[in-house]
Amino acid sequence: MRSFVYYVREFLRPEWIRKFFFARTAPLETPSYFKGYPTRTEKECTGCFSCMMICPAPGAIAVLRKKDEWGPEVYPGHCIRCGLCVEACPEGVLSSGRILDVTDRDRTAFASWYHLEVDDNLCMRCGNCCVSCPVNRQIDPQLAGTGTSASDEVIMRIEGGRVRILHMEKCTGCTTCETQCPNRAIRVARMVEGVQLPEAEA
Amino acid sequence: MSILQKIKNTVRSRSIHVSYVDVGSCNGCDIEVLACLAPRYDIEQYGIYVHNNPREADVLLVIGSVTPQWVDKLRDIWDKIPEPKVAVAIGNCPISGCVYARRGTLTSPPVEKYIPIAAQVPGCPPRPTEILNAILSVAPLIFKDYEEKQP
Repeated sequence: MRSFVYYVREFLRPEWIRKFFFARTAPLETPSYFKGYPTRTEKECTGCFSCMMICPAPGAIAVLRKKDEWGPEVYPGHCIRCGLCVEACPEGVLSSGRILDVTDRDRTAFASWYHLEVDDNLCMRCGNCCVSCPVNRQIDPQLAGTGTSASDEVIMRIEGGRVRILHMEKCTGCTTCETQCPNRAIRVARMVEGVQLPEAEA
Repeated sequence: MSILQKIKNTVRSRSIHVSYVDVGSCNGCDIEVLACLAPRYDIEQYGIYVHNNPREADVLLVIGSVTPQWVDKLRDIWDKIPEPKVAVAIGNCPISGCVYARRGTLTSPPVEKYIPIAAQVPGCPPRPTEILNAILSVAPLIFKDYEEKQP
């Protein structure tokens, strides 16, 4: 009986009734470190398209030229807020959450290069790739015809009846060789890898 | 405004019944909708109740890019909801197809092609707070003075 009275008294307290019926969680605020849609910083965009190339969602980001100025544009209905464009941009044009702070602190970045691969079964040793390559042409203006070259500095040349790739790192990713290849034997791929830059000298 | 209308407005503002339908998504948005039910977000304190019967619902949350099997069924579900009703697209999929908007996928976004959408919540997935804000902001627009707005 005593406990019954106790409970009735407890539950009739105005404070308890107010708490019970009008309890609400505080309105939740989005923390500042949450990754939102990338926003522009005041840095200048160089139009390197790193953000577009790394974006995993179709049609989420486009680098557009407006009034003689390149600038990325993010489309909210497509963007998945992964923040890769923010990390990939070498200039820090985009910003989202604390990604830029973290990449600055940890000195992380994305390194990209172009990978050339020749399928020897498809390649018919015509040398079109070596001849058409604009970098090859600049390094060795003599390079012509069959794609053989006396220079060791070219990206690729015909050696002993097959394409030999010498300096893959010089490739600019223009894919001229791909379009000129009659057999689709040569393939250009853009490789991206996360790297940690060496510590800045103090 | 009649007293009856006032009562209806009051009641409807505190009793929004939500039904959700997944028309082919990766389940990420479903998890975010279910997170709204959890104590941290707790949509019932705002008078929003989730249950999966379209005949009792006022708001339909459409999740996912539309797969062929859902094309006619989604329309059926929309027709079953009694007036006044509203559909909210949750996530990128109903808006653009998101990562499924590629060649060779069996999806046909956007969902606006099949049912009228009143609000969109972009995000992959959207945050529970964003879903909550969308429902709370779109519901009064549709349900307030519904009978008076009828022609």
